[in-house]
Amino acid sequence: MASLKDIRRRINSVQSIQQVTKAMKMVAAAKLRRAQMNMLQARPYANRIRNVLYTLLPQIERQLLPVLHVRENIQRSLVVVVTSDRGMAGSFNTNLMKAAQKKIDELGRDKADLVCIGRKGRDHFASRGYNVVADYVDFWSELAFDHAMTFGREVTSRYVNRSVDQVLVFFNQFKNVIVQELREERLLPLVVEEGEEIETGQVLFEPSMVKVVDSLVPRHLDIQVWRYLLESYASEQAARMTAMDNATQNAEEVIERLQLEFNKARQASITKEILDIVGGAEALVVEA
Amino acid sequence: MPRSFQLEIITPTRVLDLGPVNYLRAPSLDGLFGIMARHTRAMISLEVGEVKVVKEGKPQYYATNGGYADIHGNSVQLLVETAEEAGEIDVERAKSAAERARGRIRSRETGIDEARAEIALKRALNRLGIAGRR
Repeated sequence: MASLKDIRRRINSVQSIQQVTKAMKMVAAAKLRRAQMNMLQARPYANRIRNVLYTLLPQIERQLLPVLHVRENIQRSLVVVVTSDRGMAGSFNTNLMKAAQKKIDELGRDKADLVCIGRKGRDHFASRGYNVVADYVDFWSELAFDHAMTFGREVTSRYVNRSVDQVLVFFNQFKNVIVQELREERLLPLVVEEGEEIETGQVLFEPSMVKVVDSLVPRHLDIQVWRYLLESYASEQAARMTAMDNATQNAEEVIERLQLEFNKARQASITKEILDIVGGAEALVVEA
Repeated sequence: MPRSFQLEIITPTRVLDLGPVNYLRAPSLDGLFGIMARHTRAMISLEVGEVKVVKEGKPQYYATNGGYADIHGNSVQLLVETAEEAGEIDVERAKSAAERARGRIRSRETGIDEARAEIALKRALNRLGIAGRR
């Protein structure tokens, strides 16, 4: 059995870990509140812009803009993986990277270019020899719309200059504080997926269809990337909060168990001492 | 009672549901246009400018930085980058933004910055003008 001193030391170390996890939980909770607000506010706009563009798609002449072209034969894919910079968020990054990796292996490793947003994803894929063509790290704490625009332009230019024929995005979508939903979305080409409602009939465009579509498409892409970032950031904070809450509870359980062990050990040593004293006293009585 | 239609102003940071309104005037790239109930299906690009809404006979004014008006059925959605009601505009901030933009234009920096300063100035002046309407 471990000595009293050893047990005490373990209790102390678990307690300090518990303090850290508790603090991380609080920080994540504070960040989550803001992130969740930003995300919920951006959702209606992003969804409406997407709906407007997608309902118009069937009427739009694809030759208008290079970004609207749809390539029949998909040779190369660009996979955008949105992860966090830091860990300690449970399975937040692992699940996402696993799903992305599976998809990339299906497409063929040599037929997929990766854009990694977040350090975890970059480290994971770069160290495994995947073809990471661009990565963005260390920006989450000052996340702004400019980031979305930068990433959006990077991705779009790769599609427009034909280095890739489709763009897939892997990110965590925020459902609620407990649940993050792993999502795979196709950002480009812009095609109506099966089951989506499409609009028919005449639409009046002012000043012209070309001009409206010309400005709507880049705005759509920027705002979608912005949505991915906000969803992922809110999910990250939620995942970390839940993970750290669990860790704090687990630490509590460990401390309880160790405390019990400590008490037992102390009682054992007291009993042993009493036995020694009693034994010694009796020996004296016998001698006297 | 004049006929009414549903109006929503949707921006990346909030949704304003204005409910049934009678009239909407917004700045398109070719100039101001007015919308009343039962308008035909349309998609209209919007410029920096003033959005006027008439609800229950009373006008309200909003400053916007541009976007789209999506008109369908008997409802209109303004998908705009910003929408500030006349009363919410921070006049001091708009003034200093205008000054900054003027300074940048005067310093004759070339290229993209100049174009951005022009837009910034236009937005600031627009907001100041609408703030005067309250």
